[in-house]
Amino acid sequence: MAWAAAWVIAIPCVAGALAFALRGALRGLFIALGVAGATAAAAALVVFVARDGARDLALGGWLAPLGIRLRADGLSAFFIALQAGVGAIVSGYAAGYFAGDREGKAFWPLWLTLWAGLCGLYLTGDLFNAYVALELIGVTAVGLVAASGGAALVAGLRYLIVTLTGSLLYLAGVALVYAEIGAVDMEAAAQGLGPSPVAHVALALMAAGLLLKTAVFPMHFWLPPAHANAAAPASAILSGLVIKGSFYLLVRIWNDVFSAHADDMLAELMGVLGVAAVIWGSAQAIVAARVKMLVAYSTVAQVGYLLMAFPLGGDAWPGAMYFAAAHGLAKAAMFAVAGAIARELGHDDIAKLGGAAGTLPAGFFAFALAGVSLIGLPPSGGFLGKWLLLSAAADHDHMLYLAAIPAGTLMAAGYVFRVIAPALAELRRAPRPSPWRLWREAPPLVLALAALALGFSLSPALVLLSRGAPFGGGG
Amino acid sequence: MMAWAITAFDALLVALLLWLAWQAIHADGLFRAVISFMVFGLLMAVAWVRLDAPDVALAEAAIGAGVTGALLLSALGRLPERDKEAPADRRARGLAAVGLAALALGGATALATIAWALPAPGLGREVTEALPKSGVDNPVTAVLLNIRAFDTLLEIGVLLLAVIATWALGPMQWSAPARVMSPALPVLGRLLFPMFVLVSAYVLWRGGHAPGGAFPAGALMGAGGVLVFFAGAKPWITGAELDPWRWLLSLGLVAMLVAAVGVGATGRSFFEYPVDLAGLFILALEVAAALSIAILLFALCLGGRPPHRWGSEDEA
Repeated sequence: MAWAAAWVIAIPCVAGALAFALRGALRGLFIALGVAGATAAAAALVVFVARDGARDLALGGWLAPLGIRLRADGLSAFFIALQAGVGAIVSGYAAGYFAGDREGKAFWPLWLTLWAGLCGLYLTGDLFNAYVALELIGVTAVGLVAASGGAALVAGLRYLIVTLTGSLLYLAGVALVYAEIGAVDMEAAAQGLGPSPVAHVALALMAAGLLLKTAVFPMHFWLPPAHANAAAPASAILSGLVIKGSFYLLVRIWNDVFSAHADDMLAELMGVLGVAAVIWGSAQAIVAARVKMLVAYSTVAQVGYLLMAFPLGGDAWPGAMYFAAAHGLAKAAMFAVAGAIARELGHDDIAKLGGAAGTLPAGFFAFALAGVSLIGLPPSGGFLGKWLLLSAAADHDHMLYLAAIPAGTLMAAGYVFRVIAPALAELRRAPRPSPWRLWREAPPLVLALAALALGFSLSPALVLLSRGAPFGGGG
Repeated sequence: MMAWAITAFDALLVALLLWLAWQAIHADGLFRAVISFMVFGLLMAVAWVRLDAPDVALAEAAIGAGVTGALLLSALGRLPERDKEAPADRRARGLAAVGLAALALGGATALATIAWALPAPGLGREVTEALPKSGVDNPVTAVLLNIRAFDTLLEIGVLLLAVIATWALGPMQWSAPARVMSPALPVLGRLLFPMFVLVSAYVLWRGGHAPGGAFPAGALMGAGGVLVFFAGAKPWITGAELDPWRWLLSLGLVAMLVAAVGVGATGRSFFEYPVDLAGLFILALEVAAALSIAILLFALCLGGRPPHRWGSEDEA
């Protein structure tokens, strides 16, 4: 178990360094081995946590508060499973997307190290170590955006400034915690932080930084240009996985460190921001001119649902986590299809999509299936996530969320059909489909099917999420 | 020394720091701003010494003043001449700056009020107690390379990935660095470089028992390399794939990972060095990390992927 946690971080990290230092067939071999090894280690860790429950690992044998503690509980394992599942399939897609492309040279070291950074973030039980992981995630994610050049360069630079600001706010919070109790271990902080105003200020600073990194309305301005202008595999990773990292950390400190300080006012504020994000993001997706821009604004909207867990609490927590996983799969599928569209048609203009499903039948099928989960139609992971959120809202008579969730659902249907409807009209076949077409269509189809399959696997996921009681009580 | 003199010195230091910070943001020319920033870094290092944090002072001097200054200057050299701003733009910018400054001042005052009341217990005692098991006598090195080595591993990863990301942006823009004002500069650069290597090696060795270690040593050596490069020398590092320098760039990260995982072969846990060999482990990792950091910082200052072969200017 302890070594599974170590390998989950070490394997993609070594593979990332080798992807930079090697070249040719050997480089490809080590990238493939790295992806396979990281996925296998993640699977082993998930099995261990599901079977034996949560486990701590004191790095180097140094106990808290001195050393760094890794902690694998249900919440960590759930997000590592999402990372490995989406990561492995997107890696396959990227291999086809970047075949013979200079841009791919930088993609692999950046992406594999990003993988290691996200797993480190999911496993750490240390507030400062989480900051370092956030930095590694930030620099690699910015690199993934900026490597595409042109408009992506500008978007990448803005993303860099935003992500550094977010990190600094988070770090200020960590500094306050350390100055108050003399430890940065999460468990020590949870026990040591009394009813002092310092803890409230620390939480506010950390939450502000993490919300900025998660692109929560109105701090979402950086996301659409960054995600829409990056190369398609990078967009799939950024929208599907990277923003989940900062969201995870916020959920983690909210429940495990500041459970005594997370007051209702702040929770309600986050819920209201979530509702605003759902409405604003969906509206922007409905008027977007390009497929990738539409999918990027849809991310702004979908992040809104995740935030509703903060005011709702209880069953809304696993609901939001489930929704995050479904969104990770569906959104990665959509960006992958958007990339296939751009490569086959040479553009991703929604106005010129007429009959495009004839060129990319499997691709648009995958887009529609991912749309089912994104809209929240049964049977899909998105549906179950929304259902858990709705029932929590009904339990507490929260009219705002009871109204916002169906409204967001209708609007999501609106923007998904904006792509599907014209593509299916007057089918046309491409004169000469590119040889890579199937390789660009199959991975998103697998991702979309996985998002649907989440609709049938709620109970094992809930059991996994309850290991170590990350949401307090029975979670 | 008399107490009032020390207090006066501190007050002067703080006032100078604030003035330089303002200059770095609002100076008329970018060149002046960069120089203010570098002087700010140097004075900040003095402030850290006054706060009894010599390790932070070393890092601040090497990175805050040295490397960051070199980075900013090399970026400045590539900027096109800026058009004069319209007065209206300037006024709008001034207004926004005043607003932001007011906001920042308010926030900082609130934070300072809270921070004033903090007990700030720290972990100094625990670290001192753990020193005999760590393999070194310098608490900072013990924390960076042993107790919290995982943090350091990720930080070196950040540096490496920053270089990879910079290279991904495209080839470096370099208009032949041969525009040398003084003929003495290349000679001076070549004479100084061995000194940089010597001082770096000393700082690295010192890290085992006194302030020093891999980060300041690597930063110093990197700064030395940048100096020689600006003086007109051609670097060895190239953008060619299979360039052995790529291994040296990743050496720090890979060495730490191999050490962290390798101890598993003897039945230990992740990152658990054998206690009697811990000193050796730390020394080896420090050398690897310092070499990597030096070359990484140098590569960052190139500001893009270096050409496949140095020589003809058109390739650069």
